[in-house]
Amino acid sequence: MNVTITFRNRRNRRNPFIPIEAEMITPDAFFNNKEICVGEGNRTVHLNELADVGIEGTASSVDEIEILIRGDASLVKRVGEYMTGGTITIEGSIGMHCGNFMSGGRIEILGSADGWLGREMQGGEILCHGDCGDYCASGYRGGRRGMRGGSVEVIGSVGDFACEHIAGGDVLIHGNTGDFACAEMKGGTVTILGDTSRVCANMSNGTCYVYGCAAEMIPTFEKRGTINHEGLLFHHFRGDVANRGNGDLYTARFTYLQ
Amino acid sequence: MESRDVPCPFCGCLCDDVFVTVENNRIIGVENCCTLGNAKFLSKKRLKHPIMRKNGKWVEVTYEEAIDETARILSDAMRPLLYGWSGTIGEAQVVGVHLAEEIGALIDSTTSVCHNPSILAIQEVGHPGCTLGQVKNRADLVVYWGCNPIEAHPRHMSRYTTYADGYFIDNTASDRTVIVVDIRRSEGAKVADEFVQVKPGGDYLVLSALRAMVRGKSDVVPESVAGVKKVQLQRVADLMMKAKFGAVFFGLGITMSRGKYKNVRNAIELVSELNRRTKFTISAMRGHFNVYGFNEVLTWMAGYPFAVDFSRGIAFYNPGETTVIDLLERREPDACLVVASDPGAHFPKSTIEHMAAIPTVQIDPCVNATTALCQVQIPVAITGIEVAGTAYRMDGVPIRMKKVLETEFPTDQEILERIVIRIREIRADG
Ligand code: SF4
Repeated sequence: MNVTITFRNRRNRRNPFIPIEAEMITPDAFFNNKEICVGEGNRTVHLNELADVGIEGTASSVDEIEILIRGDASLVKRVGEYMTGGTITIEGSIGMHCGNFMSGGRIEILGSADGWLGREMQGGEILCHGDCGDYCASGYRGGRRGMRGGSVEVIGSVGDFACEHIAGGDVLIHGNTGDFACAEMKGGTVTILGDTSRVCANMSNGTCYVYGCAAEMIPTFEKRGTINHEGLLFHHFRGDVANRGNGDLYTARFTYLQ
Repeated sequence: MESRDVPCPFCGCLCDDVFVTVENNRIIGVENCCTLGNAKFLSKKRLKHPIMRKNGKWVEVTYEEAIDETARILSDAMRPLLYGWSGTIGEAQVVGVHLAEEIGALIDSTTSVCHNPSILAIQEVGHPGCTLGQVKNRADLVVYWGCNPIEAHPRHMSRYTTYADGYFIDNTASDRTVIVVDIRRSEGAKVADEFVQVKPGGDYLVLSALRAMVRGKSDVVPESVAGVKKVQLQRVADLMMKAKFGAVFFGLGITMSRGKYKNVRNAIELVSELNRRTKFTISAMRGHFNVYGFNEVLTWMAGYPFAVDFSRGIAFYNPGETTVIDLLERREPDACLVVASDPGAHFPKSTIEHMAAIPTVQIDPCVNATTALCQVQIPVAITGIEVAGTAYRMDGVPIRMKKVLETEFPTDQEILERIVIRIREIRADG
């Protein structure tokens, strides 16, 4: 089944800046033939009021559902939340919390993603061609475990607190990260091809590779010499010692704030 | 008439030993109070009538008309924001939360722009805290980190720490050690036994280093961390470990600098580490007299301490997404009610511009910077002077605010209740 959702321009709505809460845009909801409603501020409206929805063909399992999102979806939140299979392709940019808690299937974003992309995800794949906001592949406030499984790949750069509390899964960031990437890391593998800052603060476990420069290194990591990884020389650190941690941080270059 | 033990309705110290003299329903004398509190008790300027903008001009209106207009604005809005709350009592805050739930609003308090990160940190790792009475009677080591009590909480040191007599402290001057950590040599640094000057943005790194030292892992720490020499860090770590009872107080210097809640979390984890060896506590230097109270009220009513979005009928909380500055920056709210705070004086320009562009109503006794952004302002009685009720001190101790003057002005609570009733009437009429 192919579902095409084309968001209309919201210029004529009362306040075009109100975000749309669209946790029902998942392959699962379409497979179960649900009536798709979204939140616009304190009102609940039918998705048809904001977008043209076209459905073609049928599906015998959730994996046979392909959703294509077109038009401006940059304020549409929670797309793909709890999805278990199928695919969602977003032609432009997407709002916050895309792929929250997803456990299967695939999300591809051709533009950029706002904050909390793949928050607490358990499985499946996310590929974002643009940049991503803060808290990419992270956890929720006060939660102890962020992303637990699956994979996230961001071709651009990400904001602050990327992979906070990450406890499993693989993340690959081609660009740079903001401050405090991999804070409280507990498991999983994160690879940052660009530069980062205060990386792996308070980590207890897991593995992180930084191909660029780790600026303002946390001063409580133990130096373990150098290693060769994929033909490049990396400094190996273990820590965070302040947190009795046993995580591994490999970085090509690093600086301290002295 | 004289009233003893009046709590001061200004800062989070909530000093409840103020002596107020009243003559002809006017305060003519205030004793025990600091200059900040004095100014509040003695201030005379206030707005006399509700005002409303009509054709670009302010006109005086009746309470009924102002409440009617407010109710109309709020019931019409798709993403209303109710903000402020720190300068009023719990009884009024309760009505505010009911109002938010009823109209599917966003509700946030000044916590959002001060100790929001402290709360996020506490939600991650808990809060080894205690009441100020414990600190006063037991603490032989006091650490002020990123705060300036002399300017912001003028009686904190004399009532609870450095200069306060304590039950288990023989000589407060010689038996209490004071450590001040800041990015510049503030007033407080002058009374410190040890002053640690950290490079801006370096608090997190210094805290990590101290944690490692307390663990006995000094060897991993480099020779200098964020501008602080390793020898000094070791001295501070030793002082902390030698203390019988240590109390850390922190302020906006760490909550609002780079890293925000991670800084606070690291400070809490340092305190937890120290608790393996001795007794240590940590507390936030809360600003407004009842900012803590709003966190209590909203938590017992909605489960979260600030920044709650009721728009989908349930309480959703996510600082960064549902916090006042972020919402206004993204121009989401289409109506705003400000109660007992003055965002016009403190918020960034872009957010103020949005408040001015949407219908904004203020409930406040005085004309202030926010008045300029409003469509309607409703004056009320002054909480803690003309209205009694419950406020929470910075350490979470509830204190009964007193009424020392009679007034004709309605209270925050009455106005909010009338707004709720009016909204129900409007909705019933369809
Ligand atoms: S320290 Fe705070 S509560 Fe105490 S008198 Fe001064 S302003 Fe009032």
